[in-house]
Amino acid sequence: MRNVRLIVLMVGLFALLGAGLASAQTTTIQLAGWSSSDAENAALEAMVAAFEEANPDIDVELIFAPEYETFMQTGFASGDYPNVFYVDSFRLQDWASAGVLEPYGDQITNPDDLYASLRDIFTYDGQLYCAPKDFSTLALVYNTDLFEAAGVAVPTNWEELRAAAEALTTEDVAGLTTGIELPRFLPFLYEAGGSILSEDGTEVVLDSDATITAVDYFVSLYTDGVAKSPADLGAGWAGEAFGQGKAAMTIEGNWIIQYLIDQFPDTNWAVSELPVGSEGPATMAFTVCYGVAAAANNDNLEASVRLADFLTGPEGAMMVGESGFGPMPARASAAETWLSSRGEEFAPFVAGGDYSYAWSFPPGFGTFIDTFNNGLNEAVKGNVDVQELVQDSAEAAQEALDELM
Amino acid sequence: MAEAVSHTVETAPEKLMTQRSQRIQEIIAGYAFMAPAIIILTVFLVLPMVAALFFSLTDWNGITPLFDRQGTVNTQAFEMVGLENYERLLLREGSRQEAFFTSLKNTVYFVLGVVPVQTILALVLAVIVNQRWLKGKGFFRTAFYFPSISSSVVISLIFMFLFASNGIINQGIKALFPGYQNVTWLNDATGVIHALLGGLGITRDTVGEWARTEVLSIRLWDWISGPSVTMLMIMILNTWTTIGTMMVIYLAALQNIPGQVYEAAYVDGATTGQIFRKITVPLLRPTTFFVITLGLIGTFQVFDQIYVISSGGPADTTLTIAYLVYRSGFDDSRMGLATATAMVLFVIIFVFTMIQRRIVGGEKAD
Repeated sequence: MRNVRLIVLMVGLFALLGAGLASAQTTTIQLAGWSSSDAENAALEAMVAAFEEANPDIDVELIFAPEYETFMQTGFASGDYPNVFYVDSFRLQDWASAGVLEPYGDQITNPDDLYASLRDIFTYDGQLYCAPKDFSTLALVYNTDLFEAAGVAVPTNWEELRAAAEALTTEDVAGLTTGIELPRFLPFLYEAGGSILSEDGTEVVLDSDATITAVDYFVSLYTDGVAKSPADLGAGWAGEAFGQGKAAMTIEGNWIIQYLIDQFPDTNWAVSELPVGSEGPATMAFTVCYGVAAAANNDNLEASVRLADFLTGPEGAMMVGESGFGPMPARASAAETWLSSRGEEFAPFVAGGDYSYAWSFPPGFGTFIDTFNNGLNEAVKGNVDVQELVQDSAEAAQEALDELM
Repeated sequence: MAEAVSHTVETAPEKLMTQRSQRIQEIIAGYAFMAPAIIILTVFLVLPMVAALFFSLTDWNGITPLFDRQGTVNTQAFEMVGLENYERLLLREGSRQEAFFTSLKNTVYFVLGVVPVQTILALVLAVIVNQRWLKGKGFFRTAFYFPSISSSVVISLIFMFLFASNGIINQGIKALFPGYQNVTWLNDATGVIHALLGGLGITRDTVGEWARTEVLSIRLWDWISGPSVTMLMIMILNTWTTIGTMMVIYLAALQNIPGQVYEAAYVDGATTGQIFRKITVPLLRPTTFFVITLGLIGTFQVFDQIYVISSGGPADTTLTIAYLVYRSGFDDSRMGLATATAMVLFVIIFVFTMIQRRIVGGEKAD
C-alpha cells in the first residue's frame, strides 16, 4: 500500500515538474541598439522589464552595440541578426530596400496617435515599416544673459536672426554657432520653399532659386563673421561652444538639454522655435524606430512584433515621456507627459513635430551629402561660389538617383 | 665488388620503399606542423581576398543577407555586373571617379610626405641611440619606441587635444610668435602647396584657365593642392607613431654590422661623415628596403587615425583610399564598389613595392 502511494506521489511530482518545465519554456529574442546615455539605457531596461512581466513567455536579450551600424551590417550580410533593432531614419530606406526589415505597420496599436511626419519617415514604398521609438527636432537655443546684455529680442524670422546675430557678435562671442553641414542647413532650404527631391522622389529639384536664396543666407552669416563653426570656436560640437559662452545662439536638437544641464549648469539659456522663412516654418526630425527582422531571417516574428509594438505603443510612449530624458515620445498623446517631466519651457521642440522634415535619404545618397557638405564648407570660406555648390550637389544627387533607377 | 653491386641491386627496391615512406612521413609531418598557419591564413586571408575579388564583380549593397536562417543562399542578394565597378572608379566621369581620384591624390601626398621622413628620421635616431658615448641609451630607446606600442586611437585623441584651435600647439606657437593667427588644424581644407603659392600671390584665379580643366574629374588646380592642413597634422602624427618601429629595425641592423669594417675604415683615414655615407648606409640597404616597404604598405592603408580624427573631412582632403573603401561599403551601402576599390588599392601597393624593389635592390636582401 505504502509503495503504491509512493509511486502515485512520484508520478504526480514528475507530472507537476513536467508541466512546470513546459510552462517555463520561453522564447528568447534579441533587441539591439546603441548605447546613448546611462539614463536612456536604464529607461530602456525598465521598459524591457515591464514587457517581460507582461509577456512571461518571452525573454528579451538586450544588446548595446558599439559601432552599431557596422555591427548590424555585418549581421545583415550573414543573415543572422537581432530580431528587433534600432533603425535610424537616415538608414530606413537603405535597410528597407535591402529587404532586412519586416513591415509591421499594419499591426501597430493605434497608429494615428503617432505623429504623421514620423509615420511618413518610416514609410517606404507605400508601406509603414516600423513604429518610431522617439524623436528629436531642431530649435533655436539662446543664451539669455547675452541676449539681455545686448538688448536683443528672440528672433522669429530670417531678418531678425541676422540682426540678432550681428548685435550679439563681439570679439569673444559669435552671434550664432552651428555645424556647417546639411542637417543644420536643410531647415533653411525648406523654409525658403526649396527641396532636394520632388514630392514623389523621382526628380532632383535642388537646383532652384529657393536653394540659392537659402545657401546665400546661410553662407553669408559665416562670411560676415556673425556665425562661426564649432571647430573655429575650439569646440567639438555646437553645444559645447554654446555652453562655454562662446556663442550666443545655436541650432540644436533636444539632446542638448541634458548636456547643458550637466556640463554647464551656470549658463542661462532658453529655447525657441526656429526663425521662420518666407515660405513658412521648418525643422528637421531625427528619429529612430524599432525595426523587426524580415521573416526569412526571423524565427520569432510574432514575438518580435509584440515587443516592438509594446515599446512604441501607448504604454511605451508614456514611459519615454515619464523618463523625460533627451528624445520626445513619438505619440502626440504622450507629449504632455514629456513636457511635465522635462519642463514646459521645452515646448518649442515638441512644436517642431508638426512641421518637421525627415532626415532621411534614398540609398546611395551618401555621396550627395558629402558633396554638399564639402561645398558648403568651401563656400563659407569663400573658395566656392554658391551657384557652383548648388550645381555640383544637384549633379551628385541626380547621379545617385540614376543609380537607383 | 661484384658482391657489393649485386647486394645493392637486390636491396634497392626495398631501400627505395623505405626512403619513399620516410619522405611521405616527413611531408605529412611538415604539413601537420604548418597546418595551423595554413588554416589561419586560408580562413582569414585567402578566403576574404577571393570573396572581395568576387564581390567586386557584383552590385551587392553589403546589407541584403546572403543566407537566410536555414543557411540557404539568397540568390536575389546581388547581380553580377562584370567590370562595371572598376569602370566607374577609374574611367567613367562622375562622383565615384572623383571620390576615387581624390582619395588617391590624398593618399599619394600622404605617402610622399610620411615615408621619406619616417625612414630618414628613423635611421638618424637609430644611429644616435647606437652611439657608445650616449648615456641613458635605454631611456631614449624606450622613449622613441613608446609611440609605436601605444594605441593608435588613444594617440589620435591626444593629438586632437593638442591640435585643437586653442590647444597647446597653437598656444605654444602664439607664445613664440605673438602675431600668429590660430590655425584650426582639425578643420582646415587648405592645401599646403596652395597656401605656399597663395603666399607668393598665386591663386586659382591668377594662374590662368588651365587650372580649371578637369582631369579625371578633378581640376588641375586641385591636383596640385598638396596635403591639407588637417592631413598634414595626421601625417605628423603618423610619422611620430611609426618612427619607433622603424628605428628598432635599423638598430638591429646597425648592431649586425661587424666592428672590423668600421675599424678598417678608421685605419684608412675615413671621416665620420664618410663612414656614415660609404659604409653604414650601403650596408643597411636591405634594411632600408624593408623599412620603406613597411612604410609604403602602412601609409597606403592608413585608416584608423583618419577614422578617429577627421572621417575623411574637411572637404574630403583626408579621404584616403582605405577610408573610401570603408565609406562606400558601410556608409554608402555599395559593397561591390568598396571591394573594387580595395582591389585597386592592392594592385597599387603591389606595383609600388615592385618599383621600389627595383630601385633599392631588395633582391640582395635574401
